[in-house]
Amino acid sequence: MSDVVLTTENLSKTYMMGKREVPALRNLNLQVNRGEFVAVMGPSGSGKTTLLNVLGCLDKPTSGKVILDKVDVSNLHERELYKIRRNKIGFIFQTFNLLPYLNAIENIELPMENAKASKSERRAKAGKLLGLVGLAGREEHRPQRLSAGEQQRVAIARALANDPAIILADEPTGNLDTKNKHEIVRLLAKLNIDQGTTVIMVTHDSQVASHTERMLLLNDGKIAKEKQGLLVTKKKNICPYCGGKIQPSDYRCPSCNKRL
Amino acid sequence: MVIIALGFSMAIMISIPAGIIANQESAQNLSSTYSNTLNSYQEQINQTLTLIECSLSSGFTSGGFPGGFPGGSPGGMFGGGQYYIYENITDAILSIPGVKDVVPILQVTEGHNETISRFDRTFTILRPDYVIVGVPLNSSLINNYSFLPTNITAGRNLQENDTGVVILSQNNTGYFGVGLGDEVSILGTNFDVVGIQGASSSSDFTNMMNLYMNITDAQTLTNLTGMISRFDVYVNSSDYASTVSSEIQSMYPDGVLTSADTLATISTSTYGDRLSRLQNMTSMYQDTLNTAESTLTQTQSTATDEIIIAVVATSLIVLFVMLYTVRERTKEIGTLKAIGFSSWNVMSQFVLEGTLLSLAAGVVGIAIGSVGAPFLSGILVPFNLFGSNQNGGRGSFGFGFASANPTTPGVAVVAAVPSLQIMLIALGAAVLLGALGSLYPAWRASRIRPAEAMRYE
Repeated sequence: MSDVVLTTENLSKTYMMGKREVPALRNLNLQVNRGEFVAVMGPSGSGKTTLLNVLGCLDKPTSGKVILDKVDVSNLHERELYKIRRNKIGFIFQTFNLLPYLNAIENIELPMENAKASKSERRAKAGKLLGLVGLAGREEHRPQRLSAGEQQRVAIARALANDPAIILADEPTGNLDTKNKHEIVRLLAKLNIDQGTTVIMVTHDSQVASHTERMLLLNDGKIAKEKQGLLVTKKKNICPYCGGKIQPSDYRCPSCNKRL
Repeated sequence: MVIIALGFSMAIMISIPAGIIANQESAQNLSSTYSNTLNSYQEQINQTLTLIECSLSSGFTSGGFPGGFPGGSPGGMFGGGQYYIYENITDAILSIPGVKDVVPILQVTEGHNETISRFDRTFTILRPDYVIVGVPLNSSLINNYSFLPTNITAGRNLQENDTGVVILSQNNTGYFGVGLGDEVSILGTNFDVVGIQGASSSSDFTNMMNLYMNITDAQTLTNLTGMISRFDVYVNSSDYASTVSSEIQSMYPDGVLTSADTLATISTSTYGDRLSRLQNMTSMYQDTLNTAESTLTQTQSTATDEIIIAVVATSLIVLFVMLYTVRERTKEIGTLKAIGFSSWNVMSQFVLEGTLLSLAAGVVGIAIGSVGAPFLSGILVPFNLFGSNQNGGRGSFGFGFASANPTTPGVAVVAAVPSLQIMLIALGAAVLLGALGSLYPAWRASRIRPAEAMRYE
């Protein structure tokens, strides 16, 4: 019996463009288990970002429910929602959205600002997270002194700061070159495998999406198609390309030498 | 940039009250100077019930006090000539019944010509450098009457039959560059400085340019041998004053022959005349004070308007800067909200920023204000009672006495320097205005919906 972390029931979101109603989500039903890595794909205007905003409590659904970690968040007031966002959700953005006047470690500490932890505990945790994303030693660097890939790593560490139930990533590789793109996806997959972090990632890059467990194709505000990703076999320590045995730490398959 | 703009606004808020306070203090100084002056004249007048002061004029009556009262400063200020008559007139005067003594005095103003423009006219005036006052040094006169300087601050006063010696005023010592015990060259003749008279305070500016010497020395020095410029007539009792006064007038209906072979009219001034002039003067001073007071009130109300404008401007600057900041940082606000900041967190951060901004501006403002207050208040406070320009000042206020000469302080004008209290109030106002001005932008920021903010580039 897998543990469901996120459920939507007949989720709809309609925007008003003047007097015209523009439906972005139509009766969307979705279930995400704890520890899953899900990619949401689809053409532009298919409702990917809207879905992510509604799931992330940044926007309210027009109708339907969002149940996050057993709490129905669809009708909560803003007074409650910010706590949900702080404690249950970690956001990763396409443009990283680090605060330019804070250094790497301060950016990571930011979501913990209102948590009960002491200053030194927060600093220690932020340092640990920075190490987890492979940027130990870059604590004092401001965003403008970090490469795009490094900035996104800091943003990922920031998203993990309050041990959220779910990470919502909106085109996290959209602003990155091929090399960094792969590294970020691998990092997310690694966190997913090692820490059991649940990730929902919106992307239009099918190659990036294929590295997840489950790929959802959104069309016209509905889930049009669902596909299994490469991560499923990888989690079983089997190479998705040749079926050979692999270790979780392998970068390339020892049998077929394909990049994992 | 913003901080400097705000700083100026703050500086205005500091300078105006400083200017007002300075004006008030200047007005108080004016008032106390007037009352000191009037009191000292009253004293002088009271001591001289039996004195008839006689001076010379060109036919029309000068309003001046021969003793050197403001309007009649030595020789007259504006193109007035100096008249010298033969000293044997004193014998004729002495023969009038009731006359006890006559004190001849030769007073010669030495100065330089200066052309000044006032309104649309040009005047050539004699700027006095010093005034030679020759007085008779016979024991019978100096022991009984007061015509020698009264406030010797160093050395001694003139004594019977002194010759070749001089009493300088503080002012003279500066002009000649000499001190007590030195030798001073006056019009080419050397004199020993035996005493210094301290007439330099603002309440006794009438004598501050006078240097006193034996009348014979003065006559030789100025090539006016046998000549005098005025004389004091003492009568046996005050009852004779008016009859002797009119007798003197009637003795010379056409005037008295002067050294320049012209005729000069003798003007007399009895105790009664002087008293009524003092009363005139008192009421003129009072008028001036009233004008000053009403100007001050007007100034204050204008200044209040200006302060209100400065306050509004400051708030608006903060308001717009913060609104702009909120716009600029919409995405950041969205991010903060997405990662779990409450609306309250966001709002308080922006209010704090606005307050800090104004606080910094307040500090800059105080810096500008403390340096620039005298200039700023000069521009902003619509009517500075005495202007910043002391020399020649504003004619209407001085009766030519605040502006009698460049070195006369007349009335101590207080410069607009902001006090610590004003600065602290301004700093407090800065913080308050910063908080108020950023309240609305901060509220706007807190209302930003994160989903929309994230879409904002």
